Amino acid sequence: MKRIPAVLGTGCLTSVLVLAACSSGASDTEPEAASTADLAGQTVQLLTHDSFALSDDVIADFEASTGVTLELVSGGDAGSMVAGAILAAGAPTADVIFGVDNTLVTRALDADVFEAYTSTEAQALRPELAERSFDGRVTPIDFGDVCINIDDTWFAAEGIAPPTTLDDLADPQYRDLLVVQDPGTSSPGLAFALSTVSRYGDGWVDYWQRLRENGVKVAGSWSDAYYGDFTFGGGGDRPIVVSYATSPPAEIVYAEGEPPEVPSTSVMTDGCYRQVEYAGILAGTDQPEAATLVIDWLLSPGVQADIPLNMFVFPARDGTALPEVFERFAPQVPDAEELSSEYIADNIDEILSEWGAVMGR
Amino acid sequence: MTAPTWLRWAWIAPAGFLFAFMVVPLVSLAGQVLSPGTIEYVSDSLPWRVAGLATVQALASTAVSLVVGLPMANVLTRYRFPGRRWALALATVPFVLPTVVVALAFRSLVGSDLGSGFLIVVLAHAYLNMAVVVRIVGARWSTIDPRLDIAARTLGASRWTAFRTVTLPALGPAIASAAAIVFVFSFTSLGIVLLLGDSNTRTLESLVLRQTSILLNFQAAAVSAAIQAIVVGTVLWWAARTRNAIPRGALRTFRLRRPLGSARWAVGIVVAATVVIVLAPVSSLVWSSVRSSSGFTMSWWAIFAGFETIDAGSTRIGSPLSAMARSLSFALVTGLVAATVGGLAAMSVLAHRLGRAFALATALPLGISAATLGLATMLAYGRPPVDLRATGLLIPIAHALIAVPLVVAVATPTLRSTDARLVTVAATLGARPSRAWWTGYGPTLRTVMIAAGGLACAVSLGEFGAASFLARADGPTVPLVIARLLGRPGEASFGVAAAMAVVLVVMTTTLVAAVDRGGRRS
Repeated sequence: MKRIPAVLGTGCLTSVLVLAACSSGASDTEPEAASTADLAGQTVQLLTHDSFALSDDVIADFEASTGVTLELVSGGDAGSMVAGAILAAGAPTADVIFGVDNTLVTRALDADVFEAYTSTEAQALRPELAERSFDGRVTPIDFGDVCINIDDTWFAAEGIAPPTTLDDLADPQYRDLLVVQDPGTSSPGLAFALSTVSRYGDGWVDYWQRLRENGVKVAGSWSDAYYGDFTFGGGGDRPIVVSYATSPPAEIVYAEGEPPEVPSTSVMTDGCYRQVEYAGILAGTDQPEAATLVIDWLLSPGVQADIPLNMFVFPARDGTALPEVFERFAPQVPDAEELSSEYIADNIDEILSEWGAVMGR
Repeated sequence: MTAPTWLRWAWIAPAGFLFAFMVVPLVSLAGQVLSPGTIEYVSDSLPWRVAGLATVQALASTAVSLVVGLPMANVLTRYRFPGRRWALALATVPFVLPTVVVALAFRSLVGSDLGSGFLIVVLAHAYLNMAVVVRIVGARWSTIDPRLDIAARTLGASRWTAFRTVTLPALGPAIASAAAIVFVFSFTSLGIVLLLGDSNTRTLESLVLRQTSILLNFQAAAVSAAIQAIVVGTVLWWAARTRNAIPRGALRTFRLRRPLGSARWAVGIVVAATVVIVLAPVSSLVWSSVRSSSGFTMSWWAIFAGFETIDAGSTRIGSPLSAMARSLSFALVTGLVAATVGGLAAMSVLAHRLGRAFALATALPLGISAATLGLATMLAYGRPPVDLRATGLLIPIAHALIAVPLVVAVATPTLRSTDARLVTVAATLGARPSRAWWTGYGPTLRTVMIAAGGLACAVSLGEFGAASFLARADGPTVPLVIARLLGRPGEASFGVAAAMAVVLVVMTTTLVAAVDRGGRRS
């Protein structure tokens, strides 16, 4: 392990003997979980992306119980935020970062963006997430899936059975019905492309060739596809779209007036791509103790229960009760596709250019 | 010219502003990103190919913008008719609409016929940028003595010959200014290209976005950004040269004319066309804001007005009304800063031998992507040792940087053509230098600065890229709220976003109309 967190560097250099100890794990010198009394009156800054949302009252709870003021700093979309955090590594623009996803986390780890901290709450994580802390440098906070969404009303009206697998999407029966997003410009678009790489391995390019021959449409962004091309979301003519596993419950939550009993869209559970969002303390913060409180708070039952209806993702804490619309209409995909962050870091350039070549974009 | 002493030093203020808020952040960002290995990315063919594609697209967009904008500039800034001010304000509206909104509205109108690609991108760019032509060329056109045209025609010139030989040469610098800016905006366009473009309709800006936020390849991004800056710099240098080639005239703002004869028809047709062109996409927004899957609804407007909430007290969307108040205050500060900095810059351009180089420097922010500018500003002034975030000035500063080139472009051609002999006359009659200078330039300056300040306010109201880095997450501006709403499913999200876009249109129209009124009065 060649990278040593910047804050530990000086200490390590003082003695060759402790070098091994320092580089083999940062747990000895992690910030301690803070006692709150001495932090009252401080302000801690949380860097988030554009999709961050929590209820005002859970933030008020944090401030009331710790005496620490929480200030939210916007970093643009998720990718821009990580780019900014990497460029500011060691001298951060905030104390804590939330929303680094599994696609980008390796790049951030390589740039020494984080200071290690293992929350006392981390033992409450879902088992499959608990092990994903990259030596305690980041903490999983939520996860969600990018999935194919189906306009059931459209398929019912046409009397066609909707597709159920990735292979179905290339079936001539579903010609000209699918809209996806450009993986070079859209995060769900990239997730879907990665899902095909994960599923088909070297055959993923052929799969896209088949999709192309079957009339797939490529939109520039999620909103353009969902509101512009999708038959449900807008006036579009495509009843199959790349969206999220939680889009159907969102349809009910954000309905006008009396919400429908059942959403008119549903999720195809094959070929979903798993996204995990991490939080971490930004290396170089001058508020390491207050920062630990934010990580603990993000994992607390109150925040975890608040996450689904605000950000439309699933909480990482095991046993968190889900809202009824989630229980009924948002499938928890057991075997979602995923590629390792390291693999993505090494291959993303090539994947995007091959995708561009086969799709003529 | 007998410039007052203070004017000779006036360049320090804009130069200091540009140095502190553009040069320092960008140089430190570049210094961090660049390494000896960066040079290898220059031989990569991709950015050069994209630059070529973007050049063709931007030339076409500029041509269409001029074809649409010039008749509007003529009618809206020279003739007197009821509703002129509102029509002029309306023509400015597309310029400030968030690109996401324009793209969606545009698609719903012509998308089914044109799909995505070159043609619809060019049309969308023309729609967004015709205001630049109307504003910049209009500011100059209103200072051309209408009697010149009449004299030429009395002497036997046809209407076209008179226009070509009298009016067009006088308009030349302003047209070049406007064309250069439209080219630059189209060449560096991001939102429209992402949403409506295809494989052969892209810009370096979209490549930079992909290289920074998906590939995290900062060196390749720096090369793409540098190529973009070089192209933009070249175009702006050409425009500055064209501007300077025209001798200083003896012109002032003329009274608006009452349209007579066939001019009445021309005015009627152009005004009707302006209203239709601007309002067609806007009306599709209004329609979206009162429509749900179950028919007509006022729910989205009720949410907007705060009678209902879209999220149960969520931090993400916040109150639409408070976002409006925030956007308005940022816009007003931006207008003041940009008019001051840009106005001093324009005067310095006139007063200095190094004026052209300086004019070019003030135009440079145009070539730098708003997102890069936002990121660089955040890294330079958003963390210790210099943390300006608490002052609330970072957004107005970034917006002012983006607006200053427009202010200079509006002000310079008009100031240049102001009659400097008045200054001499006033000085001869015993006025002190400052007083004499003000007698000569004051009236024009005031008109132009108010118009330019209004344009800067409008820029701020619609700006997205820089604000997305500099806004507090719980203090978004209106375009940020719209983008956040459009980033999630559910018909309420789209409905409220449409309602907010409609309000943005109304805010802009009102603001610009009010500013124009002030400008004309003084």
